[in-house]
Order: sequence, then C-alpha cells, then structure tokens
Amino acid sequence: MGLLYLAALLVSLTGMVVLDRRFQLYFWADARRAAVVSAVGVVFFVVWDLFGIGLGIFFRGETAFMTGLQVAPELPLEELFFLALLVYVTMNLYGAFGRLLVPAVTKRGVGA
Amino acid sequence: MTYWAINAFFLAAVALVALAAVVKARSVRTAADPRRSDTGPRWSTVGLAAIALLITTAVFDNVMIGIGLVAYNPDLISGAFVGIAPLEDFAYAIAAVVLLPSLWHLLPARGSRPSTGTGPSTGTRPSTGSGTAGAPGPSTDSGTAGGPRA
Repeated sequence: MGLLYLAALLVSLTGMVVLDRRFQLYFWADARRAAVVSAVGVVFFVVWDLFGIGLGIFFRGETAFMTGLQVAPELPLEELFFLALLVYVTMNLYGAFGRLLVPAVTKRGVGA
Repeated sequence: MTYWAINAFFLAAVALVALAAVVKARSVRTAADPRRSDTGPRWSTVGLAAIALLITTAVFDNVMIGIGLVAYNPDLISGAFVGIAPLEDFAYAIAAVVLLPSLWHLLPARGSRPSTGTGPSTGTRPSTGSGTAGAPGPSTDSGTAGGPRA
C-alpha cells in the first residue's frame, strides 16, 4: 500500500518517456535543453512547495498510500516524482501541440 | 501569508522568465537573420497545452486530495474550489506551462551556433518561423529529414 502512489507516479513517468521517445517530444528532441529545463523546473516547484509548507498552507496528508519517507518536513519523497511528472507532462504537451500546429516541419518525412 | 500571496510571488517570477524569452526572441528576429527560426515561446501552443494541463490538474488534484495525499489550512486558502481542489493549486499548472517553454526557448538549441545561427539543425523552411526550436519536437534535426537539405 505504501508504495502505491510512488508506483503510480513511476508508471506515469514511464508513459511520458515512452511518448517522448516515440514522438521525439522533449529529451528526444534536445536532451541537453530538456535536462536543464527539467532540473530548473523541479527545483523551482520544490522551492514553491517548501514555501507553502513553511507557511503552513498545505501539508502531507495522513494516508497509507505513501511510503512515509520525507525529503524535508512535510515534503514526501513522492512529491519530487510528482513535480518531475508535472514538468514532463507539460513539455510533452507543448511539444505535441507544437507539432499539431506546425505539421510541415514536424512530420518525420511522412507526408511532410 | 495566504496561498494566493505566495502564488503571486512565484507567478511573478514566471512572468519575468517569460518576458526574458519574449525579449530574446525579438532581438533574434531583429538581427535580420532569417535562418534563425526560434521565435520564442509559441503562445498558441502554450494555450492548448494549458487547457490540457488544467483539465488534467482538475482531475488528478481532486483524486490526490480525495485519497488524502495532501491537505490544506482552511484559513490560508481563498475557499474557491474546483471540486475539492483549491483554485490556488492551478497556479502550479499555469506556472509550468509558461515557465518551462520559456526556459526551453531561452536555452540555445542543440547544434546551434549563436553567432551565425546556420548550424545543421536550422535547415528548416525559414519562412515558417517555427522550425528549429519553435517547440520541443523533432524539428531540431528531423526537420531536415523530409526537407530539401536532408
């Protein structure tokens, strides 16, 4: 039970990687830029979280679905993976919609 | 300090990064180098991604709160909800969809040479204004795959 949320996040992240690889959306489009954007993005949202936690706005729920491991007070290990997923989903969406809006330069030689 | 107050601070930081991306794109355009096709964040794309991300957030934030992964101090949130999700939570999605594409466009594209902008990865149609790094996608190198420069 305690691994359920983490497992769900890892499955979701794997899905993002599969889509990225298949359609060259993010890391497979430009790995160096994707690495920098992802790192900065996750750090930015972790800092935002820490402010929210520090100000007592939100806090970790009491649930059996999480491991209970915390990387900082009230900041569960799972949150890092959630934020990574938020970043990956966002940039896969940006890449995919960018493709839809500009089909000519993005179809890999298929009817381009 | 309320949830909206802290959000305003971080959203302002996001706006500054977006502004930097827009300014950079404008300076590139005015450099009279038509082969530089990275014109900064494409806001129509950002808008579509935002719609998808906000819908996704509405669904999964409700699930996450519903099963007790996170809880909020009722005194520090506005009381506006989407289902059981505080409206403030959606600031994360808005921030992501503006900040991350802006960062992407502020970074030099793979294989680009800032001084000339005519590296092998810029071989897309110059007039589209959307090629090399208009958005993450295969355009960086596969834009040439079906193109005349392949």
